[in-house]
Amino acid sequence: MEIPVIRDVLEESNARAEENRKLFDRHGVFVVNMMSSPGAGKTTLLQKSIPLLQARGRKCAVIEGDITSTLDSEKLSPLGIPVVQANTEPFGGDCHIGSHLVQAALPHFDLANTDILFIENIGNLVCPAEFYLGEDRKVVVLSITEGEDKPLKYPLMFRECQLCLLSKMDLAPHLDVNVDQIKENIRRTNAQLEVIPVSARTGVGIEEWVEWLAKSRST
Amino acid sequence: MHELYIAECILKSVADSLPPGMNPQAVEEVRVQLGKLDAVVPDTLTFLFDAIKTNGGMPNARLALSEIEVVCRCENCENEFGIEVPVFLCPSCGSGNVKVLRGRGITLTGIQVKDENGEDDGNSGNS
Ligand SMILES: [Zn+2]
Repeated sequence: MEIPVIRDVLEESNARAEENRKLFDRHGVFVVNMMSSPGAGKTTLLQKSIPLLQARGRKCAVIEGDITSTLDSEKLSPLGIPVVQANTEPFGGDCHIGSHLVQAALPHFDLANTDILFIENIGNLVCPAEFYLGEDRKVVVLSITEGEDKPLKYPLMFRECQLCLLSKMDLAPHLDVNVDQIKENIRRTNAQLEVIPVSARTGVGIEEWVEWLAKSRST
Repeated sequence: MHELYIAECILKSVADSLPPGMNPQAVEEVRVQLGKLDAVVPDTLTFLFDAIKTNGGMPNARLALSEIEVVCRCENCENEFGIEVPVFLCPSCGSGNVKVLRGRGITLTGIQVKDENGEDDGNSGNS
């Protein structure tokens, strides 16, 4: 016997994301889902940019996705902001943060006292792109050390995001990598994707990224 | 490896779609469409589905996957085109203002269950 059905397999995941969305809306929290390969520099970028946001009077908070360690959370602790570690272990040391994990983390925050919530996703260019968490913006951090071909290899990630932070720009003179070619491959994958070249070390692009956040939050 | 989570979601979707009172053990085939843009590896998904289906109460379920090609529409010249490689530029006018029409999303499209008269007994494996 055939049971006819048309059903989005991720409907439950998306329903939880919508619940998160409603909560964010109610408290006026702007939520940024940050994704990248492992080691692209998401945490260091947050370390550098959150003080600039604080100087603008923005109250920030972070959900830190890390499979095994709390090292990234410790790096952020001097900023004096709420950081909640999202434990992905229930899914076998998994590859992405799910909307249920965000939901589980939210009671630990004072959302009424939060302007911007960063979700630092697990380092992985494939899986996190698949899942809506209830965020306002998706940002991919691509370090120039990863080579030119990443956008073409992981198109979903680059299609889903609204901004690409091209990180570790300070290393450009020392690498055998063609930054223009990276930008061209981003354009071919998603011509609408904004690109801001940044370096947490030299501070290049950090103001521009903070400005992008301010501008995005008001639209 | 998001395939494990997706396999769990598929089992949940099937369980939620069965008529009330039906034993999930009756499920013989689960048909799922995968968008090619979703970066789900079919073999991995099938392997993991088989690994957890008994825990999901559906030891007899076989996952039947079909892939949906990526089809885009150019917002500049309204040309519709399929893509084989992940370059999202209109082949007609070169615009990058391109919308994905198909090829994204994971959809449960049908469930085959064993007939009440039991005529499918004994051949619930490969077909
Ligand atoms: Zn066109």
